[in-house]
Amino acid sequence: MLSLWRIIKFSFEDIARNFSLSAMTVLILVLMLLSVNTLVAVRLLTDEAIANIKDQIDVSVYFHPEATAEELAAAKNYVESFPEVRDLIFLSREQTLEKFRAAYEDNEKVMSSLGELGDNPLGATLIIKTREPSDYEKIITALSVPEYEGIIESKTFGDTQTTIDKVHTITGQVERFTLFLTSLFAVIAFVIVFNTVRVAIYTQRIEISIKKLVGASNWFVRGPYLMESLIFSILSVGITLVAIYFSTRLLDPFVAAMFAKPHLLTDYLLSHILELAGLQLAAVLLLTAATSTLAMRRYLRV
Amino acid sequence: MVEGDGNLFSMIRLQGVSKQYAENSVGLSNIHLAIEAGEFVSVVGQSGTGKTTLVKLLIAEEQPTSGRIEVGGWDISRLPRRDVPVLRRQIGVIFQDFKLLPKKTVAENIAFALEVAGETRARIRRVIPQVLDIVGIGEKHERYPHQLSGGEQQRVAIARALVHRPKILVADEPTGNLDAINTHEIIEILKKINSFGTTVLLVTHNREIVNHLAKRVITLLNGAVVADEVKGKYRLS
Repeated sequence: MLSLWRIIKFSFEDIARNFSLSAMTVLILVLMLLSVNTLVAVRLLTDEAIANIKDQIDVSVYFHPEATAEELAAAKNYVESFPEVRDLIFLSREQTLEKFRAAYEDNEKVMSSLGELGDNPLGATLIIKTREPSDYEKIITALSVPEYEGIIESKTFGDTQTTIDKVHTITGQVERFTLFLTSLFAVIAFVIVFNTVRVAIYTQRIEISIKKLVGASNWFVRGPYLMESLIFSILSVGITLVAIYFSTRLLDPFVAAMFAKPHLLTDYLLSHILELAGLQLAAVLLLTAATSTLAMRRYLRV
Repeated sequence: MVEGDGNLFSMIRLQGVSKQYAENSVGLSNIHLAIEAGEFVSVVGQSGTGKTTLVKLLIAEEQPTSGRIEVGGWDISRLPRRDVPVLRRQIGVIFQDFKLLPKKTVAENIAFALEVAGETRARIRRVIPQVLDIVGIGEKHERYPHQLSGGEQQRVAIARALVHRPKILVADEPTGNLDAINTHEIIEILKKINSFGTTVLLVTHNREIVNHLAKRVITLLNGAVVADEVKGKYRLS
């Protein structure tokens, strides 16, 4: 315990002696972690965007005005029997007309054409929502049977899959770029940590030789450098999390305008804080400890 | 000559020890030595005759190419790295360049040797005045090395070497940087330490010291022992 305390003391002394290099190491680690967290935020926003788009997708089945109530009920029951169907809204002929009027109330041409027809020209409508966008094709195919084709006038399915694909493409590119940035910072962090330890070993070579001369154990000579890795890791993760917290607070109003969730980013950060801190600390510690060990193996022969 | 294989309980024992660096660079060649507990032995020889190699082998900084080295009955010829610190706590070493930490005070320099060995603060506080008292520099414990003379710095180095109560004190040219007065004082301190029972191995090429001591002298030439006398003189030209 006493030795551990002294190792901690020596490592803080080393950090103070090479303050600028230590600060640079922490800065690079923070930049690396910030890019990792950007990746997390992009994932979160992508998932949210896709969930929103999915929620807006539906398929509308327009029936002929002549379809009987029995035929409509049979079609509705048939669609309802599919486990993929999450939500089903049935609009009668009158409700369909009402919805149509509401949608085109500003369009005089459409409204006058509707008036000229006199009678309700629209049939009932079935609005179907499935659990996954890929399920729509299945429902549409299922309805393309002679039994129902006779009573169905048309089926509309917005090109939402294309929208989802676009979202995936854009976020994929953002993720790839962020991943590249993260890797770049990881490499820079590796080089800087390596040099920090190397410079520390060089500047303390007399002290190290004296430590060895007076019988310091290998652990006592190497310990402070490993402890420095731990300190760098804790500091960088701590600084990053504080920076991320304030960034999410700053970005939340803009995100809220898109997703109608007032604290999406901050809530996610706070609810996953232990997971995020733990994983990032473990990753950074692995990186810095491996780098320090490599530098010590190369430059510090105990 | 003092016979190297005669005593089974020698403090330092070398049997057929050779150290070769490169093909044509011999550090030591087939050395047989036995140094008893409590002896004061001077190792003399000109530069490049293997004196420093002998010191490096004794503190396990290097390993012999062949032969066997024992310290206190412990074979250190092929000492695993993890055991080197244990050996070094049993052998005090001082050098010509003192090897003090410039940013630490006298007391801190000595405490450092105890701290790295995991000694408690209470023991450190107790030991520092004791060893400073032996070397007669107690009143300067708060000074930094640059505030001390060469002789005083060497006294601090000796004090630090004594903190682990070593069985052996190896002094590698300890007076090389000192004037005559300081040289005399350092030798007196080494004699005093020897009088407590510590085996002292003094590596030097100072004729006056060796002749003044009138103790055992081992003479090295080209890596080999050419003379080993119980009450020897400095015989090199």
